[in-house]
Amino acid sequence: MTSPSPVRFEAARVEDTKAAGERLAKALRPGDLIVLIGPLGAGKTAFTQGLGAGLGVRGSVTSPTFVISRVHRGPLPLVHVDAYRLGGTLEVDDLDLDADVADSVTVVEWGEGLVEQLTDGHLEVRIERRPDDVRVLTFTGVGGDWPERLAAFADGARA
Amino acid sequence: MSNEPLVLGIETSCDETGVGIVRGHTLLADAVATSVDQHARFGGVVPEVASRAHLEAMVPTVQRALDDAGVTLDDVDAIAVTAGPGLAGALLVGVAAAKAYALAAGKPIYGVNHLSAHIAVDTLENGPIPAPALGLLVSGGHSSLLLVEDLAGRVVQLGATIDDAAGEAYDKVARLLGMPFPGGPPIDRAARDGDAGAITFPRGLTAHRDMEKHRYDFSFSGLKTAVARWVEARQRAGETVPVNDVAASFQEAVCDVLTRKAVAAAKDHGIDTILLGGGVAANTRLRSMAVERCEKAGIRVRVPRPGLCTDNGAMVAALGSHLVAANVEPSDLGIPADSALPVELVSMVRHEARAL
Repeated sequence: MTSPSPVRFEAARVEDTKAAGERLAKALRPGDLIVLIGPLGAGKTAFTQGLGAGLGVRGSVTSPTFVISRVHRGPLPLVHVDAYRLGGTLEVDDLDLDADVADSVTVVEWGEGLVEQLTDGHLEVRIERRPDDVRVLTFTGVGGDWPERLAAFADGARA
Repeated sequence: MSNEPLVLGIETSCDETGVGIVRGHTLLADAVATSVDQHARFGGVVPEVASRAHLEAMVPTVQRALDDAGVTLDDVDAIAVTAGPGLAGALLVGVAAAKAYALAAGKPIYGVNHLSAHIAVDTLENGPIPAPALGLLVSGGHSSLLLVEDLAGRVVQLGATIDDAAGEAYDKVARLLGMPFPGGPPIDRAARDGDAGAITFPRGLTAHRDMEKHRYDFSFSGLKTAVARWVEARQRAGETVPVNDVAASFQEAVCDVLTRKAVAAAKDHGIDTILLGGGVAANTRLRSMAVERCEKAGIRVRVPRPGLCTDNGAMVAALGSHLVAANVEPSDLGIPADSALPVELVSMVRHEARAL
């Protein structure tokens, strides 16, 4: 079940990608899952750095590729996962996540098709890099109450 | 008989089960079991797979190290183990094993920092480390400049990567160029037949304005993106990608920034010795560029042989031996494995709550 109306932003610079994450952070709540999709160098970690800043979490948000997942404590904790090296044959338990998904915001890079079953619904954030280096961010609410929440977020962003 | 401490070191922070035995600064055994074959089918390290592999390899690897060194567990003066940072489950296996051996044999235990151990390993080849010294630690998970005032307890992080680690950038660029994981060795090989000046890739955080706020920090994410853009532009135009030139030019950018910032940090702090450590320190271009630039700056550079740069138990034993000799208090048996152990904690004496 996909929202019929994805929300799109353009980000000319990496600061704009971070700002989009920071804005989204204000609309998040415990248990939210964000599946982050985009090629190498799209700005997935930059977007998550913005999210972390918006959530006010501790510790600098850097690439989780090597450690697979990193937990940042804060008023609303952020679990940052890089699922690139996890195959489809693996269970999420194999991540050894040191935090409860229900109490945190979980962001999974390269998680498409792997982690959606973690929650009833999730927000898909797709980042494309155009040849002119501008990033196009597409937010799609999938399942749960995400379509309505995303519509409200889009109204707020326009206001 | 020597009265130098005989220390057994256990390392399980990632995918290598390493057990080393050291007497003073002398390496007696360096046994390593790797689970890399088991990870290959997943294309990289998977935490739970690594933990299980450590569990299976632990006892045989300890026995092999004892046999190689010609000593028994009773002869050992202390047991050292990597307490962090690293993969949580993987660390836990090593820490639990070390506690069990320490308890069974009645030996003190030292829970030590993985990063400081990468620095300490150099004592096995080049003897005691002068104080202060500057550590440049580069691996798949870390890129840090460390001010080593005293290897037994005072290590300060001057800077670190703000996004990707250097080794991670190698892995990701290798992926772009269709090379296998880990990306360091194949890029190093391809670069030898390439022109390092063919493409000018960006040097992260070296611009004047960045040098104020991030003088000793690194950033390799923009470099990775620049390589991706360059390669994609060639592919779109239907041209062949000159893989060797891309590898050489990318490697030149990484090594340029690492060595430039290390030399600057050493000069700023009046330090005359730079120690290279971590898996990326096995890279031939990084080693040659570091030697060249340090020579020019009148700085001595020390690099362990490639086999000791990657994760191993000998480095943990080397740091343990140093701590014993410096009369540092051993760890309490209640210490945890800490996946985010800060650089400043060279060894963990007891379990203390600390803010993340």
